[in-house]
Amino acid sequence: MLVLAASDKGGTGRSVTSANLAYQRSLDGDDVCFLDFDFGSPTAAAVFDLPDGVHRAEGCGLHSYLQGRTGEPLRIDVWSRTEHPALRDRPAGSGRLVLLPGDRTGGEFLTTEENRHRLVDLVLRLQREFSFLFVDLSAGRSYAVDLLLTATSPHAGLGRLENRWLVFHRWTRQHVMAAAELAYGSQGLVHAGTAMGHQPDVLSGSIRFVRAAVPDLESPLWSQVSPAQYVWMRQCDQALEELAAGRGIGKARVLASIPLEPVLQWQERLITDEDVYDRGIARNETWQAMKDLAQRLTIDTFWGQW
Amino acid sequence: MSGLGTTSGPVLACGEVHTCLLPTSDAVDERAAEQLLRLRTDEPVRLSRHPSRYAVSPGLLTGVDCWMPSVTGTRSRAVGTVTARAAIVEGRVLQSSAYFSAPACGPDRRQSWGHYLVRPGCLIPVGRLPVRSVAEGFLAGPRQNELDIGPIAESLTARISRHRILDLSPPLTTADTSLRWTATPAAGGKETSVLFTKADDGLRTVELRLPHATTPAAAAGLCEDLALHDWLLTTVAYKLDGLQAGYEDSRLLKVLCSLVDHLLHLWMPLSRVDRTLHTAWEELDENSGYSRQWNALAQRIRDQLVLRAVRSRSELLTSD
Repeated sequence: MLVLAASDKGGTGRSVTSANLAYQRSLDGDDVCFLDFDFGSPTAAAVFDLPDGVHRAEGCGLHSYLQGRTGEPLRIDVWSRTEHPALRDRPAGSGRLVLLPGDRTGGEFLTTEENRHRLVDLVLRLQREFSFLFVDLSAGRSYAVDLLLTATSPHAGLGRLENRWLVFHRWTRQHVMAAAELAYGSQGLVHAGTAMGHQPDVLSGSIRFVRAAVPDLESPLWSQVSPAQYVWMRQCDQALEELAAGRGIGKARVLASIPLEPVLQWQERLITDEDVYDRGIARNETWQAMKDLAQRLTIDTFWGQW
Repeated sequence: MSGLGTTSGPVLACGEVHTCLLPTSDAVDERAAEQLLRLRTDEPVRLSRHPSRYAVSPGLLTGVDCWMPSVTGTRSRAVGTVTARAAIVEGRVLQSSAYFSAPACGPDRRQSWGHYLVRPGCLIPVGRLPVRSVAEGFLAGPRQNELDIGPIAESLTARISRHRILDLSPPLTTADTSLRWTATPAAGGKETSVLFTKADDGLRTVELRLPHATTPAAAAGLCEDLALHDWLLTTVAYKLDGLQAGYEDSRLLKVLCSLVDHLLHLWMPLSRVDRTLHTAWEELDENSGYSRQWNALAQRIRDQLVLRAVRSRSELLTSD
């Protein structure tokens, strides 16, 4: 399955959340590959704690591969190369977890037929080896998004592959509007996809939203706020919910809400069970939300057109 | 084509075989295999049904004019064509193979293409060919600007994988392997020898010394057979590695059943290898115990399934 992680803007927790999803699925025994298509600012190597990842990818990362400068993009086995102390011992029963990093100097480029062929060949090769391919796409209607949108259209090479889009956004007015625009706007995924040969209802049935860094007003984090603040925040939350529903990204289309997590505010990293249970630095709710989200990727009742 | 070590024949043959699971949920039938392998309109796909179903595409030629790989840094240029073919084993495993052979020396000047095209699958050196250095360089992996035939094989795999009749949902995830091989004629009086090495990232190298007059196509056939069985063993061993008996039944069963349904019946070494080359496999098998390991793995899978059946039956009886 191809999981395409898109976001309206930067700073939505797209990279860090999708890396956590990849990690969760591999803990469950799935063989997982993470492709960093965040052209210009690849961050996955940092999230997986691979300090030399960006450096090693220079000239042989995904951009170089797509542009034909290298025959085979660099692969980094996360379990064996990570410096994250809790990850070094690969848990029994876990699947493979491999990162294909992007080159730092890659930047954006025009989508050509040649790029698309190379992408299709790469994905077909990887999907024999991995049951999940996570693709972290640059923010907005980027070239990376267009490239994947064309390649996954029914008559292109990846049309037969099951693919699911996750649109990440933060829980603010601007982000909600921008996320709706990215999915359904006149320049959005569904419109652009239809022009590229996608069936609009099928495509929109394969798009779900992930709300990131959502403040949960009932959590202890907010227990110190004054009554006036509490009431105001409640109203905001309510107003946002109405706004989202009005723009077509209401609860029915939300795959998960990831609560505001202090650890992720400080550091983009994988949240491990050790962080939650032994060290007590990350919140159980976050860990659980990531786990649920990872599971829902393959639960069909969460997907499809309503 | 004349054989290795004969007076007018080649002194070196090199190739690369890529092996992978055909990306489809179920094995394809003979007709579909034929359709997938119809890479040329002027030549048919060859099919064989015994001892297992096997389909092989017509050979495709790729013209090359480039520096040969070398470990010593000696620059030698060769011109000619590389042969590539793809095969589907039991409708389930896809192999792409690219190979060439080369004589010890050729004309001192580059000739017109016509000169090279009459010898398909042959790379003719401009001047002398430093055979040892090229063979070692080939196995070590080509450096920049040197001949790399891996992509020729890979492009066949990619071309077939793009075919619309494949549903792209394989029943199990498996890693591809590439096997790079070189063959030179065995020194006078010596028997066949084979040196098999496994490296990371699914790369294997095989250094062969074969009887005089072995054709490059027969050597490629032997290596395709080695690659297939190495891939099968690697895949099944990997799937069973870390598969704990304490796993929830559904998950364990899914893995075991997919192995039984799709891979266990494919083990059939030497079914299409030239009789004179059987000793190569026998030597390898003797040293590495491939067949013994395969039998043990296959038996383990069957035992696990039987145990599970017994257990679920006794659970049913006690619940009554």
